[in-house]
Amino acid sequence: MPGFPEVVPTEAYLGLSAVLFGIGALGVVLRKSALTMFMSIELMLNAVNLSLVAFGRQFGRLDGQVIVFFVMAVAAAEVAVGLAIIVDIYRSRRSVDIDDASWLRG
Amino acid sequence: MEFLIFSAVAAIAIAAGLLMVLQRNAMYSALFLVVVFFCLAVIYILLGAYFLAVVQVAVYAGAIMVLMLFVIMLLNVAWPEPDDRVLGLLRPLGATAAVTFAMLMAWALAGTPGLPSPLPGTSLPVGAAMTLGRVGEAQAGHVQEVAVTLFSKYLLPFELVSILLLAAILGASVLARKRPDHA
Repeated sequence: MPGFPEVVPTEAYLGLSAVLFGIGALGVVLRKSALTMFMSIELMLNAVNLSLVAFGRQFGRLDGQVIVFFVMAVAAAEVAVGLAIIVDIYRSRRSVDIDDASWLRG
Repeated sequence: MEFLIFSAVAAIAIAAGLLMVLQRNAMYSALFLVVVFFCLAVIYILLGAYFLAVVQVAVYAGAIMVLMLFVIMLLNVAWPEPDDRVLGLLRPLGATAAVTFAMLMAWALAGTPGLPSPLPGTSLPVGAAMTLGRVGEAQAGHVQEVAVTLFSKYLLPFELVSILLLAAILGASVLARKRPDHA
C-alpha cells in the first residue's frame, strides 16, 4: 500500500505466518484429540492465508485476497464435513481420541 | 505506530496459538483459537485487506468457531467446574472491560467529525477504516476492486464454491444424522 509512512515489511508478516503454521503443525503432531487437531489445521490454514495477503500486498495485486476468500469457503465446507465425521466416530467409539479411530489401518 | 500494533498483535497471536496447542481442555483451546482469529483480522486491516478482515471475523470467529464449540459441547468432553473464587475475580473484571469498551466506542464516535456523508460506492469496511484515520479517498474503492476481481477473473471458481458448499451441507447432514442401526 503506497502512501503509508512506516510500513511493516512483508518479511515480518511471513515470519508470523511461519510461526503460526509451525504451532499448528505442532498441534497436529502433539495432540491426540481429533478436535484439537482439527483446530490446529484451521490455524495452519490461517497462517497460509496471512502469507497470501502479505504477498498480495507486496506485489500490489488483489489475487491473493481473492484466493484467501476461496480458502475460507473451502475451510468452512471442510469444517462442516469434518465435524460431522468426528460426531459420527464419537457415536460409535464414545471417544474423540484418534488412537481409538485406527480401525481403518490395514 | 503501525509496527507497534503489528508487534503487539503478533505477540498475542503467537501466545494464544501456543496456549491453544498446549491446552488440555478442548473448550479452552477453541476460545484461544478465537483470539488468534481476531488477531489475524487486525493484521488483515494493517495489510489493507478490509474485506478479508470482516470475513475473517464473520466466517472464522463467527460461523466456524460456533460450529466447533457446539460439537465440543455436544460431545461433552471434560468441561471443568468453574471455580467460585475465579468467578468472583472475573465478574468485576468483566464489568470493567464492558464499561471501558462502551466508553471507548462512545469516545471514538464522538471524536470523528470527519464523516459528513458516505462516499458514493463505499461500504462499511472502508467507512470503519476511515474512522481509524488511515484510509483516504484513494482507497475507497478497495472493496470494490476485490469484488471486480472476484466476479470477473475468478467467476468460475466462485460458482464452483457454491456447489462445494452445497455438497458440504448434504454431506454433513447425511454423516451426522441418527442411524438406528448404528453400533
